[in-house]
Amino acid sequence: MVRYLTIRLLQMFVLFLVFLTILFFLINAQPGDISAQFVGNPDIPPEAKQILRERLGLDQPLFAQYLFYIRNVLTLNLGVSFDHYPRTVADILLTALPRTLYLFGIATLLSYIVGFQTGKMVAWRRGSAAETGTMVTSIILYTVFYPWFAILMLWFFGSQLNWFPLGKFLTPAQWFDAPYTANQVFNTMLLSMFLAGAGVALVVWGTGKFVAEPVPRTRARRILFALIAISMLAFWLISPMSRYAADIAYHTVLPVTTLTLVFYAAITLLTRSSMLETLREDYIFTARAKGVPEKVIRDRHAARNAMLPVTTSFVLAIAFIIGGGIVTESIFSWPGLGLTLLNAVNVEDLPVAMGALAFIGLLALFAHLVADVLYAFLDPRIRVQG
Amino acid sequence: MTADRSMVAGKQEGEKPELDPGPILEVDHLIMNYRTKDGYVSAVQDVSFTIGRGESLGLVGESGCGKTSIAMSLMRLLPDNAEIQAGKIVLDGDNLLELSDEEMRRRRWNDIAMIFQGAMNSWNPVYRVGDQIREAIDLHWEEKPTVAVANARIAELFELVGLDPAMMDRYPHEFSGGMKQRAVIAMALSCDPKIIIADEPTTALDVIVQEQVLEELRSIQHEFGMSIIYISHDIAVIAEITDHLGVMYAGKLVEHGLTEDVFARPRHPYAWLLLSSTPSVTGPRLNLNPLEGEPPDLLHPPTGCRFHPRCPFATDQCAAEEPPMEEIEPGHLVACWNYEQVPEMKAESA
Amino acid sequence: MTDVTEIPPVDPVLEPDVPVAKEGLWRTRIRLWNRSFTKNWEIFSRNRLGVAGVVFVAFFGFLAILHPILMATVWPEEIYDPVRGNDTVILEKTVVPDGEVTDPITEISFTEAMIFGNFFPEEGDVVLVGQAPAPPNSAHLLGTDPFGRDILSQLMKSSQAAFTLGVIAAVSAVTIATTIGSVAAFYGGWVDSWLMRQADLILLLPLLPLLIVIGSLYEVGLWQLGLLIGILSGLGATAIILKSQALSVKVKPFNDAARVAGGSNWHIITRHIMPNVLPLSFLYMMFEVVGAIFLEATLSFFGLLSIPMSWGIMINTAHTQGYTLFGLAAWWLLFPAGLSVTLFGAGFFLIGRAMDEVVNPRLRAR
Repeated sequence: MVRYLTIRLLQMFVLFLVFLTILFFLINAQPGDISAQFVGNPDIPPEAKQILRERLGLDQPLFAQYLFYIRNVLTLNLGVSFDHYPRTVADILLTALPRTLYLFGIATLLSYIVGFQTGKMVAWRRGSAAETGTMVTSIILYTVFYPWFAILMLWFFGSQLNWFPLGKFLTPAQWFDAPYTANQVFNTMLLSMFLAGAGVALVVWGTGKFVAEPVPRTRARRILFALIAISMLAFWLISPMSRYAADIAYHTVLPVTTLTLVFYAAITLLTRSSMLETLREDYIFTARAKGVPEKVIRDRHAARNAMLPVTTSFVLAIAFIIGGGIVTESIFSWPGLGLTLLNAVNVEDLPVAMGALAFIGLLALFAHLVADVLYAFLDPRIRVQG
Repeated sequence: MTADRSMVAGKQEGEKPELDPGPILEVDHLIMNYRTKDGYVSAVQDVSFTIGRGESLGLVGESGCGKTSIAMSLMRLLPDNAEIQAGKIVLDGDNLLELSDEEMRRRRWNDIAMIFQGAMNSWNPVYRVGDQIREAIDLHWEEKPTVAVANARIAELFELVGLDPAMMDRYPHEFSGGMKQRAVIAMALSCDPKIIIADEPTTALDVIVQEQVLEELRSIQHEFGMSIIYISHDIAVIAEITDHLGVMYAGKLVEHGLTEDVFARPRHPYAWLLLSSTPSVTGPRLNLNPLEGEPPDLLHPPTGCRFHPRCPFATDQCAAEEPPMEEIEPGHLVACWNYEQVPEMKAESA
Repeated sequence: MTDVTEIPPVDPVLEPDVPVAKEGLWRTRIRLWNRSFTKNWEIFSRNRLGVAGVVFVAFFGFLAILHPILMATVWPEEIYDPVRGNDTVILEKTVVPDGEVTDPITEISFTEAMIFGNFFPEEGDVVLVGQAPAPPNSAHLLGTDPFGRDILSQLMKSSQAAFTLGVIAAVSAVTIATTIGSVAAFYGGWVDSWLMRQADLILLLPLLPLLIVIGSLYEVGLWQLGLLIGILSGLGATAIILKSQALSVKVKPFNDAARVAGGSNWHIITRHIMPNVLPLSFLYMMFEVVGAIFLEATLSFFGLLSIPMSWGIMINTAHTQGYTLFGLAAWWLLFPAGLSVTLFGAGFFLIGRAMDEVVNPRLRAR
């Protein structure tokens, strides 16, 4: 597995370089003086322009510029924003990145977990009214034009029912005398969620490895999961940040739900067909012949294998999810990478736009890597030999 | 290790003394149909046979003749559109068809295990082979054993079927086809079933491995005294290892008897054609009688004897009336109006 | 019992009009396709959702064809042109105090009434106001947009754009993918590796953000977008899928037969592998249309394309003119366009799914 992952990592790096090359040529194929695009802002004093020009390698010949560009991206030296001068592009993007990760992460996780369960149940009860209902809902959600759907969600839950705020990331009035910046609170939220997730993964792996008997293993897992949940809860109850965190969380409900619903539909459809394929396999028959109870066949034998194609499909879904994320950020005014990109494009802030694109590419590669690791973990044919 | 083994063996001893002379399995006038859009497909038509303790029975016939349908009926693992219309399947005194689903589930593997046609795909690719066997053990042993005890038993079974016990920690993709099939046999033995159904146990294997696996199955059967039903389309393979032989045609059992009787003196025209069309490398040269025509469409089975459209000895009676199973010599049953006309095997006369 | 039927001996020399060798391979294939078409349509039509898909697509096809006819006959261009037309509808509105307007169609605030030239409005007065967007009326069956343009006309014009884009993207994607897939499967080795790594790379491209940047840097119209999507998809995901199909065709014995008969590599690829990949190619065309139309609508929604009119632009207009949260109160602004993208996409998606059952029998319900 280590070898497999090393190779994948190297491949990813090469892919990222290729992606950057494409970006570079995209900028350069454009008519007009490229350096003007990067340092053309009249707000920048002439001396600063010269320094910037040199740092970005814009005074060099094309090929050297290319090398400069690659080096600059890898060292996060992405130039200065036109629109938000003198903020650097890297600063703007690093502020936006966690927000996108949050939206992207929660929507992906939720939709995969819930969608997988639904798809599993629906395939198991083939021909039932529940199946028909779920299928119709899923196909509608899956084929609905997403920006339109998001607008309708915003209108219905935000404006009509008035349950949720109309976009944005927080309620400015509440933050007037806040002792923290929004990003501090937000990053703490993200970190605590990440730690909880890592904890759960560690528990699953650890108990799987060190507790052989199934009954004490389940017990140990339950206790440790409860411990993680309690410590999370305790932290947020005690922390003075929680008031502000709650405000942010309240603002996230609608965009996250909207994004999740659409992926959820896709995952449900996918899991259902994957599960139906799996149920036809010989080993399902073996399990039945062994006298394995039906529920165990469904969960331990069929669903476990149906997971594999669903995981693979995640790689294909990344582009789809990123697209959905950008639309969501735009409609719910969620200040992440996508909105940054769109705003930059609208005000022709090229350095920010290109930087955001590079970041989004990196994000896609990272998601791809996660899917690869997960797949290697799930499929012994790769875990054991690769 | 031996201690663990005797524990399992003890379970069987305690339940039933070995003196019991009655048949272990009795299939009585079984009728099974598949429901399709176009009507009923008559897959198993009025089939009866019995198997004694420690005996083996071979079921042969062309593909689609209902062999596998019988096996599925015995396990009660038929697809949703299958209906058992009539008959009894009595295993050790209990009619399996009357059990509740839950009772039947507990019986499976514990009383009646199976060796599958496609050993290649009968292992779940994401679990270790040992764990998959342990799943059966955990489900069916009277007292759920600890992992160590179960593993010891699996190791023992692996040795029995000629596999390295260390292999139990491996995944199915690390096994060759023959090894997978051996492991399936080990799994079938894991709960000491009363009867094992081996459905084309060696079809997917190459000839040499086939031979070894069959040899092992036979010696295991002798050692443990369990009953085995072999299902195959290859009469030569089956005849070597079974005590009794049943020949099926189009959902019906047409001939049934001791293997040597059926082999030496097939009385049903279909069995006769089947046997005389099987070339033997070592035996004398045969005139191969080709079996002409196609197997019948079971949506609309032929009237009377189902074989009459292809039968060289068919008369008007064959098309009109269904021949009953008749005992033509002790233990040798045939369903044919004109069995007397079936010639002696040419191999014998030659 | 069984009579042996005597089959009269056939002498091929005496039967010169046996069509076997005369008929071209392609013609034979078309004949076979025709024959299987009836059977396939039967399987297809059993899938009611698939038939619904055909109905949706046919409906939009009807709209697309109807537009030029209406423009030429009953719709004056200065009013009904989807882009330049304008018609201010005069509406009766009740004056209400500022900030209490609940229904902007039937009510007007003091301030607004003053802007529209009623200098001394009183609460409860009914004033006549030229309104855009106007709700559906006899002249504009689906109302007008915030610039006074006819929604129905825009909708019809957009159907044309959708079909144009869909066809360009689908045909280019599938042509490229079928070629690449067949070549990769046939040659294997480094050709295959190269083409497939390339496909992996394209698969990883975050398509929407990339198109957003491209759309902002360059003038991207319908043709450019269609080709761009087609090429990217044809080199990417579709190529991978069609290659696996080509691979399963490659191992069929008729390829060996063709080779033994002296067929060149190119002959085998174009005459034997590609035709057998085509049914699946055709299927993926359907999904290609869905992807292309959604991308176009999204990019138009962001206002990044140089297309005169499309459903995405219609939603964009409503959105940027501040009608996002009006919902049902101004339904003709958001719903016709949004539903059109959805139903157009759904139509092709459902056709694709139903065709999948025809091509891939394992998916059929028992």
